[in-house]
Amino acid sequence: MSLQSLFKMGSLFRSEEMCLAQLYLQSEAAFACVSELGELGLAQFRDLNPDVNAFQRKFVNEVRRCDDMERKLRFLEKEVKKDNLAIDDTGENPPAPLPREMIDMENKFDKLETEMKSVNSNQEALKKNFLELTELKHILRKTQQFFEQCLQIILTKYKKNNNQVYFPIIYNYNLQWLSNIVHFFYYRFVAGVLMRDKISAFERVIWRACRGNVFLRYTEIEAELEDPHTGDKVNKYVFIVFFQGDQLKSRIKKICTGFRATLYPCPETPQERREIALGVMTRIEDLQTVLNQTADHRRMVLSQVALNIRVWLIKVRKIKAIYHTLNLFNVNIEKCLIAECWCPVVDIDRIQLALRRGTELSGSSVPSIMQQMQTKENPPTYNQTDKFTSGFQAIIDAFGVSNYREVNPAPFTIITFPFLFAVMFGDMGHGLLMFLFALYLVLKENRYMKHKPEDEIFKMMFDGRYLILLMGLFSIYTGFLYNECFSRSINIFGTSWNFLMEFRCVMTLDPNKPGVFRGYPYFYGIDPIWQSAENKITVQNSYKMKNAVLMGFAQMIFGLSLAFCNRRHFKDKLTLYCELLPQLLFLCALIGYLCMCILYKWSTAPSLLIGLIDMYMLTDPKSNNRVPLYTGQYQVQIFLVIVTVLCVPWMFLSKPYILYKRSKQKKGHTRFMFFHTKFVKHIKLLIIMLISQFDMSEVIIYQAIHTIEFCLSCISHTASYLRLWALSLAHSELSEVLWSMVMHTGLATSGTSGAILSFFVFWFFSSLTVSILLVMEGLSAFLHAIRLHWVEFQSKFYKGEGYIFSPFSFTLIVEGKV
Amino acid sequence: LNFVFFIYFAVNTSGFLEGLVRGFKNGLSKEDYRHLTQCDTLEDLKLHLQGTGYGHFLANEPSPLTVSVIDEKLREKLVIEFEYIRNHAYKDLATFLDFIKYSYMIDNIILLITGTLHQRQLSELLPKCHPLGIFDQMETVTIASTTADLYNAILVDSPLAPFFKECISEEDLNEMNIEIIRNTLYKAYLEAFYDWCQQKGGATADVMCEILAFEADRRSIIITINSFGTELTKEDRAKLYPRRGKLYPDGLLELSKADEYEAVKRVSELYAEYKPLFDGTGNNPGDKTLEDKFFEHEVTLNVNSFMQQFQYGVFYSYVKLKEQECRNIIWIAECIAQRHRAKIDSYIPIM
Repeated sequence: MSLQSLFKMGSLFRSEEMCLAQLYLQSEAAFACVSELGELGLAQFRDLNPDVNAFQRKFVNEVRRCDDMERKLRFLEKEVKKDNLAIDDTGENPPAPLPREMIDMENKFDKLETEMKSVNSNQEALKKNFLELTELKHILRKTQQFFEQCLQIILTKYKKNNNQVYFPIIYNYNLQWLSNIVHFFYYRFVAGVLMRDKISAFERVIWRACRGNVFLRYTEIEAELEDPHTGDKVNKYVFIVFFQGDQLKSRIKKICTGFRATLYPCPETPQERREIALGVMTRIEDLQTVLNQTADHRRMVLSQVALNIRVWLIKVRKIKAIYHTLNLFNVNIEKCLIAECWCPVVDIDRIQLALRRGTELSGSSVPSIMQQMQTKENPPTYNQTDKFTSGFQAIIDAFGVSNYREVNPAPFTIITFPFLFAVMFGDMGHGLLMFLFALYLVLKENRYMKHKPEDEIFKMMFDGRYLILLMGLFSIYTGFLYNECFSRSINIFGTSWNFLMEFRCVMTLDPNKPGVFRGYPYFYGIDPIWQSAENKITVQNSYKMKNAVLMGFAQMIFGLSLAFCNRRHFKDKLTLYCELLPQLLFLCALIGYLCMCILYKWSTAPSLLIGLIDMYMLTDPKSNNRVPLYTGQYQVQIFLVIVTVLCVPWMFLSKPYILYKRSKQKKGHTRFMFFHTKFVKHIKLLIIMLISQFDMSEVIIYQAIHTIEFCLSCISHTASYLRLWALSLAHSELSEVLWSMVMHTGLATSGTSGAILSFFVFWFFSSLTVSILLVMEGLSAFLHAIRLHWVEFQSKFYKGEGYIFSPFSFTLIVEGKV
Repeated sequence: LNFVFFIYFAVNTSGFLEGLVRGFKNGLSKEDYRHLTQCDTLEDLKLHLQGTGYGHFLANEPSPLTVSVIDEKLREKLVIEFEYIRNHAYKDLATFLDFIKYSYMIDNIILLITGTLHQRQLSELLPKCHPLGIFDQMETVTIASTTADLYNAILVDSPLAPFFKECISEEDLNEMNIEIIRNTLYKAYLEAFYDWCQQKGGATADVMCEILAFEADRRSIIITINSFGTELTKEDRAKLYPRRGKLYPDGLLELSKADEYEAVKRVSELYAEYKPLFDGTGNNPGDKTLEDKFFEHEVTLNVNSFMQQFQYGVFYSYVKLKEQECRNIIWIAECIAQRHRAKIDSYIPIM
């Protein structure tokens, strides 16, 4: 990380200082200036005409023209995609074109659109023609088959019935003969093509409408046909209907049109059919060449579009965004637009530079003016983030955007969040896997930045890659402390217990037994011998529990000290002395003392809980025959209890009281100024009192809630930190179960079968490790870490009632984020 | 026990769809209508609708816009939403949604028959059909020349067949006949729908029977008013009244005797629900027509249907309210397009 970005991290402590500025832009320079500001992306414009409808604003016509251009481009893009052409993405970022170039662009798009449309309609007509011919071809083929089949049936029947001699004559003239029969009985037929899904309804209607006096046959066309309008593939049926008489004919034709079947003339004699079929074939071939040529032409036009469409889209979007912004401006004064915007104080120079550039570009002689304004409005919160910090800032913003210039917890979260996560997730092996996964994402980030991942879950993980990286690192660290790697311990420095001796008897490690403990602790972390000890859980529980309380206290105290920073920054001495100070004292006297006791007597844990209860029952430990922790414990405890109890009314009453006094002084002042007659004076006083009573009651209730909440939360939040212990315990137990139940069974089997078993068991083990221990447990630890930060930590100092700074920026607009 | 039922409804039937419909329902606010009536051109209207729940439904239409394009797109949007819901529904809800479709089918058939009677081309009539009421055999109704034909050849396979029983005759189709068919069909449809809802029971019955009863009464009243001065005999007229409304049986009996508008009014004023609808209607400028009053009452009923959860009424009401909203938009658009702003405010507000 460069020095500059480190410097920027310092500024993450509080949001950027913002100011409200007024811009006076010459009408002819306004477009160029806004364009420059959009490239810069540091100004958030305010809507100066909130009462004006969207369609009554000044630049609504330009916006509409942009909409139209966008529509045309969308149409072209759709056509490009239809042809599976790749859209050229050079990563180029063209500047917004000047307004006069808009007409050129419009003309260009218009020309392309009309050309495309004419090509399309041309193609559609050709395709329709082609489709008709193909259908005709199929009809001829299918009817031919049908007639031949009929003939076969008739002939076989004929053969069966009378085995006569003159049969060959008939056979020779078979087809001619059949059509003669058809003619003889005045059977006529129509043939056509129908969509597959309509055929059954069609059959039924035709049967009913003609009262069964028709003969219908249909068969499917094997090849899929293309709908000329939509380009979809459709399945169709060929049908042939035989009937008698003209009335039925018109009826059938009506039904056919009702079902949108296409009818084709089908000659009655086989010779004619064959002739037509030949003609159709040649026409299809001709049409195919023409179709190919049209497709080539279309492709040519589209490839040119595909080359430029991205740049065009960006340009149009930029123009549209500029006009949208101009619509926010005050246009009431002639030749001049007035804009108001929020911008970071440090970047005022850059904005002014951009304005100057814009004015020069537009060739305007009068400079654009920027002027800072005084305002009582709350400025937006702007935290500058980079790719590393943005993930952490997102966690904070998800809870609530910080108030303007309030202490931002994000920089501390960068360390505390992964650490608290790791306390719950402590395992070297799992941590390493997580770290490697995040490392992969970080190393490949350039590639993924370019081609945005589509998958939402993956995108989320990608956005938090640095968070996961740190979580993995810290898990390795805590895993090392816990001495756990996939629930196994590593004996690096040599254990400090004489376990050989212990193995003979029970595996309970007791340092008080002579000769078992070597007298010096394991060099770093937890001694690996505990892994096989019977009292492992007891010892680890006590260790982790105490750790959790200590860490919780540290974080809460840190939160309170951040609150001090806040109060000092906002020069709110009243809250500082009347609220924060007693809060700090209360927390220290209650939980701080407990933590001190924990540290003081780490190993011989006397029941601290009972000690704490005794302390508030004001019982002397000596009187209950308990050994005091240290001499003078009783006196110290009495003092602390008094402090705690005193803190409560201090927190509750002092602030409202001072406020009341102040308001009374103010009102008393005005009272003497204005009122003379006694009667009026009394009345007014009464009213003032009532009003002030009303005001005060609100303050008092608010303060009471606050006090109660804080006092209760001291206990509950501390208890809440015990989740650190609980989750860590759950994690280590789960991984131990997974090892002993799954992996161990594989390893315990000996011989070749053992090797094969281990092979399979490993897959099982690893997939469970990833799915349960890494993903599920990781998620739960993540959620708990978030809770600890949002509730336990941030409730001490963080308001989170601000609103985020959303500058007018082309990069965001082009990426479609706004 | 209710709780169990709710869970059953939510999980098994249509919790998801009900949620969806409640989301779809959120339409134009009063503010939106105010803005819409201030528009000067249809382009303005489009721009403003972009900011509402209608979103970019007109984004791909080239200018200049016409009212018919807007109408078509609005309808298309409703149909897409409805079909989405229909495709996800099954069992009872599917039947219910089909019932909603049947009324559009009836309208379409009547439209086609009337069209053919007037020698119109099918291609000219088809775009006028409501897409919700399209079914396979629909386009073949043009071949029928008598009602019996119509039934035997075409409609017997369609879902409308059961409603057709009462109007089968060998008479030729003429305009009078068609009108009678329409009303008989509607009558049968409303009665069937009403009975189905009643049998379904629960909140669905409470809500739907209220709405359908009103629908039935409205039809009876309008049939009566429209029949004055036609060849329709009183006995024939009485046969067309749907017998599920609040007017049944006494009110309908009285209605069948009515000869003039005042008589209808007198009958309706006996009913607390319908009295206010007749008050203040008239043909003077500024007065609302009876039809508008009916629409307003229908809107109120439909809005009320959203007050109850775990029932099918919301689906019906959603379709009706959206239709009304579309009609409002089209009304405003027409007023803008024809520069006839005096009446632009007489749309039916949806609370």
